[in-house]
Amino acid sequence: MITFTIDGKTVEASHEESILKAARREGVPIPTLCYHPAVEPYGACRMCTVEVERNGQTGLETSCNTRVSEGLVVRTHTADVYRFRQALMGLYLSRCPNVPMLQELAAEYGVTEPPFPTDTPDEKCILCGLCVRVCHEIVGAKVINFSNRGIDRRVGPPFLEVADECIGCGACTLVCPTGAVEIAFEKEAIYIAKPTGPTSAIYVPSLQAIPRVPVIDTDACIHFRQKDITNGEIDDACGFCQKLCEVGAIDFEQEDEIVEFDVGAIVVATGFKMWDPTQLPEYGYGKSPNIITGLEFERLTGSAGPTAGEILTAEGKKPEKVAIVHCVGSRSERAHSYCSRFCCMYSLKQAHQIKDKTGAEVYSIYMDMRTFGKDYEEFYRRNREEGIQFIQGRPSQITADSDNGRLYIDVEDILLGQVMELDVDMVVLATAIEPPENSDEIASTFGLGRTPDGWFAEAHPKLRPVETATAGVFLAGCAQGPRDVPDTVAHAGAAASEVVCLFNQGEVTISPTIAEVDPAKCVGCGECILSCPYSAIWRNDKEKAEVNPALCQGCGTCVAACSSGAITALHFTNDEIVAQIDGLLALVV
Amino acid sequence: MLMAENGYVLLRHRDIPELNNIDVYRQHGGFKTFEKTVTSMEPEQVTEVIKASGLRGRGGAGFPTGLKWSFIDNKNWPHYVVANADESEPGTFKDREIMEGNPYQFLEGVAICAYAVRAHDAYIYLRGEFWQLAARLDQHIAAMQVAGLLGDELFGMDFSLRIRTHRGAGAYICGEETALLESMEGKLGQPRLRPPFPPSFGLYGKPTIVNNVETLTNVPPIVEKGADWYRSMGTEQSTGPKIFSLSGRVNRPGNYELPLGATFRELIFEHGGGIPNDGHIKAIMAAGASSSLIVANDEALDTPMDYERVQNVGGLLGSASVIVIDDTVSIPRLINKTIHFFKHESCGKCTPCREGIKRMLEILDKIVSGQGTMADIEQLETVVWLTQQGSFCQLGITAVNPVLSTMRHFRNEYIAYVEEKCCPGDV
Repeated sequence: MITFTIDGKTVEASHEESILKAARREGVPIPTLCYHPAVEPYGACRMCTVEVERNGQTGLETSCNTRVSEGLVVRTHTADVYRFRQALMGLYLSRCPNVPMLQELAAEYGVTEPPFPTDTPDEKCILCGLCVRVCHEIVGAKVINFSNRGIDRRVGPPFLEVADECIGCGACTLVCPTGAVEIAFEKEAIYIAKPTGPTSAIYVPSLQAIPRVPVIDTDACIHFRQKDITNGEIDDACGFCQKLCEVGAIDFEQEDEIVEFDVGAIVVATGFKMWDPTQLPEYGYGKSPNIITGLEFERLTGSAGPTAGEILTAEGKKPEKVAIVHCVGSRSERAHSYCSRFCCMYSLKQAHQIKDKTGAEVYSIYMDMRTFGKDYEEFYRRNREEGIQFIQGRPSQITADSDNGRLYIDVEDILLGQVMELDVDMVVLATAIEPPENSDEIASTFGLGRTPDGWFAEAHPKLRPVETATAGVFLAGCAQGPRDVPDTVAHAGAAASEVVCLFNQGEVTISPTIAEVDPAKCVGCGECILSCPYSAIWRNDKEKAEVNPALCQGCGTCVAACSSGAITALHFTNDEIVAQIDGLLALVV
Repeated sequence: MLMAENGYVLLRHRDIPELNNIDVYRQHGGFKTFEKTVTSMEPEQVTEVIKASGLRGRGGAGFPTGLKWSFIDNKNWPHYVVANADESEPGTFKDREIMEGNPYQFLEGVAICAYAVRAHDAYIYLRGEFWQLAARLDQHIAAMQVAGLLGDELFGMDFSLRIRTHRGAGAYICGEETALLESMEGKLGQPRLRPPFPPSFGLYGKPTIVNNVETLTNVPPIVEKGADWYRSMGTEQSTGPKIFSLSGRVNRPGNYELPLGATFRELIFEHGGGIPNDGHIKAIMAAGASSSLIVANDEALDTPMDYERVQNVGGLLGSASVIVIDDTVSIPRLINKTIHFFKHESCGKCTPCREGIKRMLEILDKIVSGQGTMADIEQLETVVWLTQQGSFCQLGITAVNPVLSTMRHFRNEYIAYVEEKCCPGDV
């Protein structure tokens, strides 16, 4: 430890420490532009210049990269320091006359007008190099650097072209003091200013999350993205959360893992995903931040959402007119022909919420109001009484006016037989649901069939709605088809009961009609394995096909597929069938 | 033009024709010193000889060369030697003549330096415009290899050495040793924060000795003839011979090898043949474009040119590129040109140098075009002060020297531009 003086105050510090760090710790303000605690000091902006006296000699030095030493005398507010910063801010303000942050800092030193000709009024970059250093030192992507020299120096990727190595983390925009670096989204995002999703890479999933601890979004986290993109070559990028967490709770090694279980039954409850409304361009999704999906509306109106539950447009205003469009992607030959079942009810709920919270004019544009079930029709009637306007029809087009941001909906009210154009502030699209992308993979893993619209097939639509063709595999919820929350709960309860029934039997009786392989004839070609819809056949260690009698349903597909005649279906052997045919023929004769 | 009675030490090719041929060089005792060094001396002994000779860096700073060599960090390996041949100071053209006329003495100096600091790789960093020179040096290096003067187990001893040339892209700042190292590493040529200095943290972070071409060319004769012989030339503090690059308003511009301590008068009038048309000498820039102007009165002209006494008259010896200015030269116009050079050569890292020099040039443009006001002169003084106080490296700090010194000594010329829109020196 050493002792030095700053503005007349005697301070102890480690000799490794810079004057700036020690000053900040002691609460002595020193202005900076190119300094950031996350990266190495650079000494380019010169704003942190202070008066330093050592060995009887006094001079101006930058505090960010000058270390403290025994007996050093530092003065941060002398006439020379003031004059220096005043002249320096004159240079900055002349370079970037229209950056508010620089205007404010310059004003602190009495510079209100640029003292030199301002030939670059739009310039925002002061070449402090923070973006360059954060990209090199923290992110490790090294995609931006300086080019040219002297007054022509500028910041950018090589040859100022789009750099593939950029992971779009936005760290550069975060550290830029003047707002000169911006992230351009390749696809215009909804609610850029108030994102409807998580706002950072590390976040608590929801207010009700149990346990209430943060998770890392590995797609957004710089550490994981850099590791992923470079195939593990850069495995030490960022890591700031780890350095800052005092209890050491952050463990980057704790990644997703594959765990194997031995189970007696499986309930497939893989759910659904929301259909992407950009597939039908007439709905205008993506053309305006005020055209949102029902799910995005839920986020907006949720108390943990970006506006703390207030219903606001992207411009931050209370909407005066809102349209809710039903059947977006449902009951359409151009998207999904089925009814997604629960959208009518949540759309009615949302209409009620908008009316209740904002008092806005609400238009509900529907094809048929499907208020099935107990008390649902009553809720619909209440909505009508609240003054929500119901228009039966399907919008032909939703457009956004690029000048005033207003949204226009062209729709024919088929009850009135009248074509109308609605002028609204916000549109909520009740989008369809569809099976998740990886349904194929799930189907082949569990030996599931699928109905033509892609949902997993039940064993029988009326009699066995939770069972599948594979014994021991059951379906629950929207994996089998669209259904709302009460129906899903009931369906899941049924699936759980099936599992419990199965387990309670202790011993399972299976049908004797199963396939059997004659190992002497089997050539191990594997055709039967490919043909088996129940994944009941595997290749044993003698390279012969073998049937798992618990899985085999006796369908006989493998018998037909076996080219060497090695498989027989018990109780349906060739001899038995021939004998039956003979018997039938004998009867006729 | 001759270097005393003893003949040339550095510009020996002026006495011996075709000295840039390896055979000719060897006939005149070339590489004997290198062989003697490697076969019979310890590296530290070589450094001691250089220390005793009082040789100081010829690139401009005048730092004692032997002391620099002794700073090499022997805990960190490997070591490198880099010859700074980025000769970019306007008015300096001595290294080029050495490398063209007497290249083997320079290369022998590189080799002895490498032995002294136990380096096995040496690089010659040339400014980008020296591409022809680089090609010729490559040939000379190849000739040394053929002659068994480079490679492994030299002279049967456990010492190997390779020399390679490396060309920059033509940036003035790369003459600054840390910017030079950055450039060699393939990075943007901009200075590093010092300390650490290159002898502990240099090329690729390894201990590195960076020496000017002329400095290294001094090494073989010192090791051959001894420190006492060397100290017999020059002054007590500034020993040995020095090449003075004389240019500007003189009758015979060129390189002159004189012992340190020769006076300006001797150089300009005796060797340089005086001022054209018997004109009147007004000022001297002793260290190229970045030097303070010295008012050329009798006291200044009789000042011995060594590292200390030039400072007494307000200048710097630097790389000893003496630019002579007579009455026909307008000082503000001259300064305008100098600042134009620095605006082009500033690396742009720190704001005072990048923006300050740009603004200085704008104001000077205004003044010499007759548009200036007294407020401009005041503003110029503020920017000059800021740039001098606040620049990151010596480029910005010294770039303002000519402005600062002329605003002190030749203020009347600036004021003449403002008041009468012309200047006494305007022709």
